[in-house]
Amino acid sequence: MALLAIQNLSFAYPLSPQKALENISFSLEKGDFCVLCGATGSGKSTLLRCLKREIAPKGELSGQILYQDQPLSALCERESACRIGFVAQRPQQQIVADKVWHELAFGLENMGLPQAVIRRRVAETACFFGIEDWFDRDVSTLSGGQQQLLCLAAVMVMQPDILLLDEPTAQLDPIAAGNFLSTLQRLNRELALTILLIEHRLEEAIPLANKLLAIDDGRLIANDAVRPAVRALQGHPALSSAMPVAARVAGMWQLPDCPLTVQEGRRMLENQPLRKNMPVFGTESALNTPPALEMRDVFFRYERNSPDVLRGLSLAVRTGEIFCLLGGNGSGKSTALACAAKLLRPYAGTISVFGKKLKNYAGQSLYQNCLALLPQDVQTLFLCSTVAEELQSVHADTANFPMDFTPLLNRHPYDLSGGEQQALALCKALAARPRLLLLDEPTKGLDACARERMTALLQALRAQGLTVLCVTHDVAFAAACADRCALFFRGEVVSCGEPHAFFAGNHYYTTAANRMARGVCDTAICAEEVAALRRPPEAQP
Amino acid sequence: MRSLGELHPLSVFCYFAGVMSVCMLSLHPALIILSLLGCLTLLLLHNQVKARTLAASLGLFTVLTLLNPLFYHDGITVLFVINDRPFTLEALLYGAAAAGMILSMVGWFRLLSRALTNDRLLYLLGRLSPRLALMVSMALRFVPAFARQGQRIHQAQQGLGLYRGDNAPDALRGRIREFSILTTWALENGIVTADSMAARGYGTGRRTSYAIFRFTRVDALFMLFSLALTAVTLTAILSSALKFDYYPALTPPADTLLARAGLCAYSVLCLLPALMEGGERIRWRCLQSRI
Repeated sequence: MALLAIQNLSFAYPLSPQKALENISFSLEKGDFCVLCGATGSGKSTLLRCLKREIAPKGELSGQILYQDQPLSALCERESACRIGFVAQRPQQQIVADKVWHELAFGLENMGLPQAVIRRRVAETACFFGIEDWFDRDVSTLSGGQQQLLCLAAVMVMQPDILLLDEPTAQLDPIAAGNFLSTLQRLNRELALTILLIEHRLEEAIPLANKLLAIDDGRLIANDAVRPAVRALQGHPALSSAMPVAARVAGMWQLPDCPLTVQEGRRMLENQPLRKNMPVFGTESALNTPPALEMRDVFFRYERNSPDVLRGLSLAVRTGEIFCLLGGNGSGKSTALACAAKLLRPYAGTISVFGKKLKNYAGQSLYQNCLALLPQDVQTLFLCSTVAEELQSVHADTANFPMDFTPLLNRHPYDLSGGEQQALALCKALAARPRLLLLDEPTKGLDACARERMTALLQALRAQGLTVLCVTHDVAFAAACADRCALFFRGEVVSCGEPHAFFAGNHYYTTAANRMARGVCDTAICAEEVAALRRPPEAQP
Repeated sequence: MRSLGELHPLSVFCYFAGVMSVCMLSLHPALIILSLLGCLTLLLLHNQVKARTLAASLGLFTVLTLLNPLFYHDGITVLFVINDRPFTLEALLYGAAAAGMILSMVGWFRLLSRALTNDRLLYLLGRLSPRLALMVSMALRFVPAFARQGQRIHQAQQGLGLYRGDNAPDALRGRIREFSILTTWALENGIVTADSMAARGYGTGRRTSYAIFRFTRVDALFMLFSLALTAVTLTAILSSALKFDYYPALTPPADTLLARAGLCAYSVLCLLPALMEGGERIRWRCLQSRI
């Protein structure tokens, strides 16, 4: 008996001629860990919400959703709320109460359970998730990763059979995301919890799963065990680039097996006939332009008695390059950007933009034809109710922008996908004609496809003469688009260089492709470069 | 025995209600001195008294004391005359009593806010109405989040350099635009929160209200004891056994058994937490010496 069976499910939003979901059938057994992937707007979230009765979208639904052979609608209200858990993307907005313990108890309070039962379940859950240390804290003092873990715990305290998650790690940094995913794996292994996860970090999520669903334009295009499904998706225009690097390299070599992790990929690489003379990728750019942004011995702290956030930061970004600043959470990357944009004032050191010291830019002159800063949450940039108004209000130059906004003009900026929001924010920022663009985590929450588009966008803008300084956690993105990368640690730059040389020098903080090829060819940092390490077929005996 | 901040919110609430209602209902100098003494020792025990606050309180006390005789001229003992108006001893003492009452109330309120933090107050509210408590809890979270997002939007706009101009009307127009999108953001935010609540079964029936506080034997004893002491003192006050007249001449109440009982009860009530905490510290010292 399947725990959850979906039969011929179709769904259309009201007033929409097109069906959002068409004829979808699949089933989940007890203990399945299933990843659901698909391009932005393919209907993944709609499908997931259809499975959770309380938040199901309004519209025309046909087909059946069976929970333990009963229609979902036959469950009683409380049963339905408890049995199927749901966690969404933004942790801050999902949290209801102001104290951690109260948030944990919220669902059980709704069930009308007595004090003693709530006390026991809350204690047990807090133990399992390691929440004891911050049990008494205000939720606003928690980090994003802790908040998302709390959201998960607050659902798990109700002891669900199935957990539905809609891109739970999109707003988290890589460390917190890894932590969150390994907690999911633990739940799956130790409690036989059934999990259906929408995720764009497929590199990390796919090795945890035993089942993969892929959805394209409302239709299911893959529904199988992980390895066959990954192989079947190779060559798919939107999804193939999102697959784990090892699987992509195997696909390029047209091998029959399908490795998923770096470890398996490495084994595959060693069993292949490799080139005798390994290529050295990457060439130091000859760009020797004057610096667009120069920071020298900058020190900053938020309060008089707090520790330094920037400790003698020195950095030079040359005019006309894309410079990526990589580093862990809380290392002060965003603070450095805010200092460069004159939003914060360092207490020592000098910052100059295009050879002129920041303090010599009077009033708003720094922000006119000179520098623009895009914050992490680009939603904060939008002030109007449609994309068209948004662009008009600042007289944005859409003709020269490397993306077409015409199909989006009548939408509300908040309703766009993450990638579209980033592009709109960029276009809006360019209206002030900056020559230096400061970006804070431009790939946060983007899927692989949107990330590739972002890379192309930045490279097109660089070709138009723009200098870009980009702060990011995303090593694969930095490897793909940067001219130079730097590693930021505890308020200063500890290493800096051309991406291939830079990542070749790192052991942990590098791309999955690089970790796979390490020792064979240190300078290979993306799937294509790893694939080029095999001896070409005509040279093989 | 524990300190006030560790007792059950309900006992803490009963205690403060007792002490403060007595303090507000009577101007008997002994009661006011007891009340001042009680809150001062507790504040001292918690290291809450700094030289600056002490000086400020003394200043406030002097001003409040002198204010009464300047405007009120009853009383038979005239000290001196200003502008043909008598400055009487009775009015001065009445002012001192009132000032002492106000100061002790300020002190008790400071202790109250330390002992009944937000979540404890919310718990008390939850006993009355779980729904109301939830709403207040959400508001407590939402208001700072709203302010933070407003700040973020403002900074984002500044870093972008659009809507240019250093002049006031432009800046004001910018602020209005920011506020209008902030309301949209709040509504969007509300939808996600509402979904998350519905997903966890909000509104499927009667709610219970969970709290991490346990009502133990010590809490019960403390509550009963302080309620009993309050009852004795209030009986004495309301039956006029502790009625102290300032005008026209100072007349202390008759020395009855009820008056004595009231004074004793209130002195125990005021010093109860300080005694508890002092005793606790001594016991802890003894225990520590055994480690």
